[in-house]
Amino acid sequence: MSWTLLNPATTRAELQQPFAEQDFAYCQALSEALLKTPQSRDFPDLIALGFWLRQANLKPLLAPYQQGQFIRQPLGLVFHSAPANVDSLFVYSGILSLLCGNKNVIRLSSRSGGSTAVLIEKIRALAATFPAQNARFQLVQCDYNSVELKALISTIDGRVLWGSDQAIQAQRQLTLPAHARELNFGHKFSLCLLGAEAVLAADNTEFQQLVQLFYRDQLTFAQQGCSSAKAVLWLGEVAQVQQAQQRFWPALTELIEQKQPLNSSEQYQALATAQQLIMSSEQQLMLTQQQSISRLAVHTLEPVFINQHQGCGLFLELQLSNLAELNPMLTQAHQTLTAWGVEPSLLKNWLMAAHTGIDRVMPVGQALSFSPDWDGVNLIEQFSRKVVCAF
Amino acid sequence: MLIEREPYSLNAAEKQPLLLSELNELTGYHQQHCQPYQQLLAAQWPAFVEANQTAQLPYLAVRLFKQLKLQSVPDAEVFKVLYSSGTTGTPSRIVLDSTTAAIQSKILVKIMQHWLGKARLPMLIIDHPAVIKDRSNFSARGAGIQGLSFMGRNHCYALNDDMSINFEAVEQFCRQFGDGPVFVFGFTFMVWQFFIQQLKQQQKTISLPQALLLHSGGWKKLQDQAVDNSTFKQQVLAQTAIHKVHNFYGMVEQVGAIFVECEQGHLHCPTYADILVRTPGNWQTAAVGEEGVLQLLSTLPRSYPGHSLLSEDRAVLLGEDNCPCGRMGKYFHILGRLPQAEARGCSDTFSPSAKPEAAL
Repeated sequence: MSWTLLNPATTRAELQQPFAEQDFAYCQALSEALLKTPQSRDFPDLIALGFWLRQANLKPLLAPYQQGQFIRQPLGLVFHSAPANVDSLFVYSGILSLLCGNKNVIRLSSRSGGSTAVLIEKIRALAATFPAQNARFQLVQCDYNSVELKALISTIDGRVLWGSDQAIQAQRQLTLPAHARELNFGHKFSLCLLGAEAVLAADNTEFQQLVQLFYRDQLTFAQQGCSSAKAVLWLGEVAQVQQAQQRFWPALTELIEQKQPLNSSEQYQALATAQQLIMSSEQQLMLTQQQSISRLAVHTLEPVFINQHQGCGLFLELQLSNLAELNPMLTQAHQTLTAWGVEPSLLKNWLMAAHTGIDRVMPVGQALSFSPDWDGVNLIEQFSRKVVCAF
Repeated sequence: MLIEREPYSLNAAEKQPLLLSELNELTGYHQQHCQPYQQLLAAQWPAFVEANQTAQLPYLAVRLFKQLKLQSVPDAEVFKVLYSSGTTGTPSRIVLDSTTAAIQSKILVKIMQHWLGKARLPMLIIDHPAVIKDRSNFSARGAGIQGLSFMGRNHCYALNDDMSINFEAVEQFCRQFGDGPVFVFGFTFMVWQFFIQQLKQQQKTISLPQALLLHSGGWKKLQDQAVDNSTFKQQVLAQTAIHKVHNFYGMVEQVGAIFVECEQGHLHCPTYADILVRTPGNWQTAAVGEEGVLQLLSTLPRSYPGHSLLSEDRAVLLGEDNCPCGRMGKYFHILGRLPQAEARGCSDTFSPSAKPEAAL
């Protein structure tokens, strides 16, 4: 029933012209605050966010949206709901919406901690210097059934829900005004595609780089980011794939041994999940435990894997002779495909024919980089109105 | 068969070969009678035929009993289904046929008799009488109390339904039986919070100098209050004059072959059960004195594949056959639960009906 504003407004929130200088300045100030604070060292997500918020990044990113024959106007009042444990994700959609000129209310989970606490502190500290931006970027903690939330939702122009499918469905119980737009970013499952031949042919430098980039994508958040791969697809013939696996996994486990990204609970989770998948699968799976990670050989991606796979260092592995073999396994839940050592034209041609699933195909190493195009939706277009003027 | 032997009578040289052969036999049995278990063996231990030592036996993460229906008997032979307390999340579901249920009871009695003697003693239960009537709360606490009630007579419940002490009943029990041996049982947290602390606050003491207090159910809530085992024992002695205080460790997934704490403060494996400690990550067995995750072996589970389980408890093996208390077998400490793996990604762990954890 609670309702707590974390950075109370000192001035009335007013809609702005999209991409206003003062809004970029606010982002820049937040960026500097995040990159300067020693606390960020413990949170790689805050460093990444700090870099993303720089004017030098945001201005070129948004430049394409400032041209064209439309007059761009803000959508209005936008409500964003952050997932419980993703520490900084809410800022990306909130900031893009702010830059589109909107007024924003962002609901944070009361269970959020860690890097979110640092973010809240930095945002509060900017309120005095940027009262207008602060008023348009309101952070709130509240229950799903709070009276204030219900009242707010009945007045908004757009709603953005991030989180588990369950959390999204629960929040959809609150009715939006008829005209309001709704964007939902639910549970996703991502994949990594490695070309076996290229892995075998890579010289040592290239190969070590691949291992580092793969590690960054998958293990920065214990394989729990929605765009971190939970399945590794090996493109190549069986024998070749086996050789490539024998080169790849020992190198990765060596890096994991050095960096120790997984605690004992996560290691237990990986083992328990592997056993659960094995025992509930319709296929006979094969488990290889390689130091602190588990590899599970599968013949096909079953829909149950999407919800049962909990990350924490468990990799499903699938050998593909041909990319098209993947198509019948894909569902709307399959989001990012990171790829390495696969011919770009091959990828593109395949992607044109894969009508279900896969929202983005990125090079290995860029799984976690945020873009205004997310889950097949362009956030800038959604956060603004394109006004037609025929004169 | 180990179940015919006394609970702490066999040294490693006598016990290990018998244990190994019975567990090998059980592994083969569950492989044949439980399809998911067969799939697990084929996936994780493809070359497994027979273990040469217990460390080679396949093991199952204990949480799988929450996620899957695992049984090695046809539905028609199911006698009883046990559920774990389930204060958080889904409860475990343990399928018993009449043979397994009977063996569990028989072994529990055998272990208890070692500590309590063969005669049934007057029994003081540190709980309220409704705990075995309330179906919704029945699962763990009620079943535990009902299971152990067999071991006593003249049962007296020490608490009222509102968790206050029923002084009239307790005082009458002490008057009637306080001079002789009695059996006191309760769950660790209940004993501490609703009995010992209340006695202390009200500046009351009772006198049961020949009693044996047996308690179980986890230390988490007491650790949160910085209460360790020795503080617990001191306070119990001060308020009740009970100096024989024994914790025991067990789980719904392996009912019967429980691990009771000796006079030295060590949890002991009975003849029918054994433990291993594994290092998270590589899952190799850890050396004596080295911390790891506790694996539990029991020769009792036949109706479900629960004879070798990887628990979620951290533990350390202290030794085998050489505890100063003189009992044979391995002895160990429990160091607490593995912390919940924190969700760090976009797939958060929202639960719309999450209730605050019940009092126990």
